[in-house]
Amino acid sequence: MSDHLEQLFVKQLKENQNIIHKICRLYTNDEDAHKDLFQEVTIQLWKAFPKFRGESKFSTWAYRVALNTAITLYKKSTRRVATTPYEGQKHFLSLDEYNFEEEEQIKLMYQAVQQLNDIEKALVFLYLEDKDYTEISQTLGITEVNARVKMNRIKGKLKKILNP
Amino acid sequence: MEELDLLKKAWQKDTHQYEQVSETDIYKMLHTKSSSLVKWILIISIFEVLFWTLISVLWNTDDFLEKLHAENTIIYFKVWNFINYVVILGFIYSFYKNYIKITATASTKQLMQDILKTRKTVQYYVWYNLGMAVVSLIIGFVLQFVFNPKMKLIADRIAHEDSYNTLCITVGVILLALVVVVGLFWLFYRLLYGILLRKLNSNYKELKKIDL
Repeated sequence: MSDHLEQLFVKQLKENQNIIHKICRLYTNDEDAHKDLFQEVTIQLWKAFPKFRGESKFSTWAYRVALNTAITLYKKSTRRVATTPYEGQKHFLSLDEYNFEEEEQIKLMYQAVQQLNDIEKALVFLYLEDKDYTEISQTLGITEVNARVKMNRIKGKLKKILNP
Repeated sequence: MEELDLLKKAWQKDTHQYEQVSETDIYKMLHTKSSSLVKWILIISIFEVLFWTLISVLWNTDDFLEKLHAENTIIYFKVWNFINYVVILGFIYSFYKNYIKITATASTKQLMQDILKTRKTVQYYVWYNLGMAVVSLIIGFVLQFVFNPKMKLIADRIAHEDSYNTLCITVGVILLALVVVVGLFWLFYRLLYGILLRKLNSNYKELKKIDL
């Protein structure tokens, strides 16, 4: 593939990397696995990039490939022994709006989301990204109605995790 | 749900600082090798196809038949071999077609279906070859009985007086050998693909459950 294409890709990926980081964070438990998955997503994106026509935003296109990689394609190496666990949850709220109680609530919610299974995580991720149900259903390949029903069930499940 | 909406608000602002990857890092990543599930399936599948194709090519029936002085059956085996090659080529073609269809930009469910379909094609190929091997073995035994003078002795004994025991033992040994061979293969595949496809299968089931 041409150098120009490579440059374009690297630039776009660098600018949109947070979307991939978010997915990696949600689907892995330690920093090594996070980096591993990030690398695999990058390779998958690069492989698919020549077919990316710019009909959608780079980010919209990227999270589909990233989710597919995390859910389906990523083969976590099981040989890894020493892992660096994530250091304590970083802050969600910025300093100027910091509210201890709210921050704690958000943290607990995030931890609850991490306990969901791979598919449920994908639904929640898309929901948090403010995607509508049409897009959620197209990304996962399920019907819109069922995506809605499932999302409601997940909310119930999260409630149960938070208040056992 | 209030808490989820709180998370959503915070999520959208994205104050979470991730360790940023530089352009140089990305360039490096582009030149590393993928270790995705599809790649593993492709590698193993190619080995399977090569292995079984090699076996069918190397399986020289002519010598065996000449030794048995059963030359008049050679023509049937030629036809059999020809059909076999056509089937093998058909399998390889459809495996290739399935493989190139796999793309990470499809919907998650479609992607999973495509991967499973590719896997199934190779699986059918292996079972086809295993079936052919079993049929060949049985035909081989039958030919031995008909044409091999030593085996004729056993066949004669079966045909006469105390035949029942000899018949049972002979058939039993043949069946046992077949069951052991097929069983070993089955176990090997279960283990290999069970491990490889565990995550995919459970996620696929979950996704299908939603659409019920």
